[in-house]
Amino acid sequence: MNRSIGSLIAVAVAALAWSVGAAAQQPIVVQWQTANLTESQYEPVWKQTIVEFEAANPGIKVEPVLVARKDHWTKFVAASQARKAPCIVSVDVTTAAYNGYLMPLDKYWNAEPAAFRSAWSDAMLSSAKWKGQLYGLPIWGGTYAEIYNRDLVVKAGLDPNKPPQTFDEYVAWGKKLTGNDRWATAVLGGKTDTTTRVLLMWIWANGGEAFNADMTEATFAKNPRSLEAIKFYLGLADKSAIAAPAPTTTNYLEQTNLYAQGKIATMRNAYWAIAKVVGDNPAMAGKSFVAPPPANVPNAPTLSTVTASSISASCQHPDAAWKFIKFDADRKWSIARAKVANWMPLRNDLADDPEIKADPLLGQFVRIGRNARSYPLPHPAWAEIAANDIVDAVQKALLAPDKTDEIFRDLDARLTKKLRDI
Amino acid sequence: MNARLRRKAGLAFVAPTALFLAAVIVFPLAHAFYTSLHRVRGLNATFIGFGNYARLADDATFWHSLGVSFAFTASAVALHLGIGLALALVVNELRAARTALRIVFLTPWMVAPAVGATIWLWLLEPQFGVVNYLLRAAGAIAAPVAWLGEPGTALASVVAVDVWRGVPFVMLLMLAGLQTIPIEQYEAASIDGAGAWTRFRFVTWPNLRYLVVVATTLDVINTIRHYDIIGVMTGGGPAGATEVLPVLIYNTAFRGNRLGEAAAIGVALLGIVLVLAVVYVRTARLDDGTRR
Amino acid sequence: MRRRSPGRAAALWTIALAAAAVMVFPFYWMLNTSLKPASEIFASPPTFVSAQWSLDAYRTIFESRAIGRYFVNSLIVAIGSTALSVVLASLAAYGLTRFFPRGATPFVMFLLFTKMLPETLLIIPYFRLMSDVGLLNTHLALILAYSSFALPFSVWMLIGFFRSIPREIDEAAQMDGASVLQTFARVILPLARPGLVAVALFTFLIAWNSYVWALVLTTDASMFVLSVGIANMVGEYRVQWNELMAAAVIAALPVMVLYSLLERHLLSAITAGAVKG
Repeated sequence: MNRSIGSLIAVAVAALAWSVGAAAQQPIVVQWQTANLTESQYEPVWKQTIVEFEAANPGIKVEPVLVARKDHWTKFVAASQARKAPCIVSVDVTTAAYNGYLMPLDKYWNAEPAAFRSAWSDAMLSSAKWKGQLYGLPIWGGTYAEIYNRDLVVKAGLDPNKPPQTFDEYVAWGKKLTGNDRWATAVLGGKTDTTTRVLLMWIWANGGEAFNADMTEATFAKNPRSLEAIKFYLGLADKSAIAAPAPTTTNYLEQTNLYAQGKIATMRNAYWAIAKVVGDNPAMAGKSFVAPPPANVPNAPTLSTVTASSISASCQHPDAAWKFIKFDADRKWSIARAKVANWMPLRNDLADDPEIKADPLLGQFVRIGRNARSYPLPHPAWAEIAANDIVDAVQKALLAPDKTDEIFRDLDARLTKKLRDI
Repeated sequence: MNARLRRKAGLAFVAPTALFLAAVIVFPLAHAFYTSLHRVRGLNATFIGFGNYARLADDATFWHSLGVSFAFTASAVALHLGIGLALALVVNELRAARTALRIVFLTPWMVAPAVGATIWLWLLEPQFGVVNYLLRAAGAIAAPVAWLGEPGTALASVVAVDVWRGVPFVMLLMLAGLQTIPIEQYEAASIDGAGAWTRFRFVTWPNLRYLVVVATTLDVINTIRHYDIIGVMTGGGPAGATEVLPVLIYNTAFRGNRLGEAAAIGVALLGIVLVLAVVYVRTARLDDGTRR
Repeated sequence: MRRRSPGRAAALWTIALAAAAVMVFPFYWMLNTSLKPASEIFASPPTFVSAQWSLDAYRTIFESRAIGRYFVNSLIVAIGSTALSVVLASLAAYGLTRFFPRGATPFVMFLLFTKMLPETLLIIPYFRLMSDVGLLNTHLALILAYSSFALPFSVWMLIGFFRSIPREIDEAAQMDGASVLQTFARVILPLARPGLVAVALFTFLIAWNSYVWALVLTTDASMFVLSVGIANMVGEYRVQWNELMAAAVIAALPVMVLYSLLERHLLSAITAGAVKG
């Protein structure tokens, strides 16, 4: 009797040990999807990130999901609807959280040591929160500033060390930079949300606001300083005539093209645009300098995009996913991203890092970014508002400038309705 | 073979296709209908009956988009037919180069629509594009034209690019038709002293009528649901001038994240196309096989 | 043969060449861009011929991107779709013309009906369907989708084609002792070869160029087809246009070869089939 019980126990223990061993040998596979995996300059970095992560975490494999940027959200939605979305994703946090596509990260966040958590300011974290819960860890971003072509500026008899500070100075510069089949700048009116980003910056630079504090009302026309700024900015294309023609088809690609080919002397853009310009035209290397956007009020904020890493709601291995997100947010990869792709780190403990300081342009962007508002704006309907409604209004106003008031009043009404319809 | 056995045999032949379609297409179609009856916010769907349709009826954007779709489809299909027929007539006459010309005219088909649209986007670009360059070099225009930047020219441009995409199909059908017209009919007309236009009107056209019906039906269905060209070139802009229904559907589904509403727009579009198709096919008298 | 005046010939040739130039120009521009170095692509004025043409872009994409792999995947999916579509369409068209002649038109209308909904609305439920049956990331999922898109036109064309083959041939074969299936496969199908070739070409084209379905249904890079590989080359922060166009040229080659070789079948199929309705 004892012997048979003994052998039973032995068999049971052996079986248990075997199954545990077998489970330990099965690697967990987490999929990682962000639109950035198809950016060619970032490829060597993310490949290295995965290699090092897997070496440090045997038992977890990270499978990258490559997708074109313009179709990234579509693919994510299709997979989320079938509850088969990749574990680690970078998407618009507010929209995705509202639609139930993301998992709250508070329990992981709160379990981290304070030393780790202190690298993110409250303001930065709030850009990845929805209804008080954290849905993403901000990883990288881009601050928008005014980028000038030094050669063209000097050729026009202007001083690169004294960039324009106010709207009027900007126009004065612009007039000198326009002529000979060249223009000072380009007004962005293409059908992408970059149009909205730049418009918002001009509004804020005039002391205006596009929305009220809790995003339940649009004030493009309601706020007189906003409307004034809109008219000024859109007027660069027709009244002041210092902007390249065809603004309604000018998007980020067009704008950087024009700048790279020397057709415009300045562009409102983020650090990554300089890398693109040099890629398009190597002769442009080292020719750009950066200044804060001109503003009519002191301390006007600029705009900083925030990209966060999140865990999808259907993820089967959230622990492993969080491990990777933490790993990827580390100093090493933040610096690498900044150097190869010019994506700015969002950790606040890197400003004095020697590698960051070694790049003067990056340092300037970091400084300018200290007074920035995060983008996208926190509303579930933002993707549509930014890429459809606001762009439509801008395009209409560019085509019929004397109807600008009416167009933006209509926009206010339509947006207010959309903002409240959630 | 008796009638029952014939029926069984017939079913055996048709069943694979019917079952295949039932599995692969009918489910997604039914799901789209079902979705259109709900208010969908991500993974939360609330049944609202015909609420989405009621909202659409009141929505100026929808009606505007419908109008743009009609304008786009009507002009594109008309041009496909006109130019396709003209080219078919030309190729039919130039016997020596016929094969070479046929292959050349099929070139647009060989490029994926999205890639073709990207190239046309460049060609039409105001500052760096080839079209403006050539037109200025030829003295036809003084300053670069922003083809996609103004509502009128934008719609004309996307129609032109769609003509480039769609003519090969129609031309092929017309060419096939032309090659089956018996020579005797032309000779009889010539003997009667008929000129080129009369020959076309009384010999060519009646023989082609059926094919024109086929071509138009298929072309309308393909063109009214086409997304790639406008999606890539203008995204529906400027100011909604080229926002056809497929673009509106895509934007509503994947930018607005309102899947129920997008499905309702799609079903509305389907209904309209269905009505058009039935009316058209009836008037061309396809179903009882009579053709004139 | 009617004699043509030289003036008329000149006019016809002018029209033909002008139209040909417009049709072919984008493809020529694709080729031109793929051969240029990156810095010359947006030069103003644009260059039509360049001293700096080279095959560097082609070399790069084969080395640094799995273009060969994507090509093979596209081929598998396109051939699979073609095979499935030919089989299903010919069976259905034969069944309808021989056994349900009056049901042909309603059936075709039903098939057309399935095409009237824009693709956008079908991708989410189709993804769910494929996910539920475990067919995500497979060639089969794409093959099933593309065959279904090609069916309406294919069945319509083959119906016309089979109608033009006299029933007497069927009856003769059956009197010789052949079963219905044997009659279909051994006697009728060979007569319908041009029609089958036409269906094959048409389906191949649909499967080869389609993007949205492969985008949504495949996540594994080793399963990507050419259209996905090409789309993934459009980064926001940098786009290597010459490489992208090189990939597009490679993608266009098989279709071009196939069509050049088999194009007369397409024509005669439509001639025999659709014309006689």
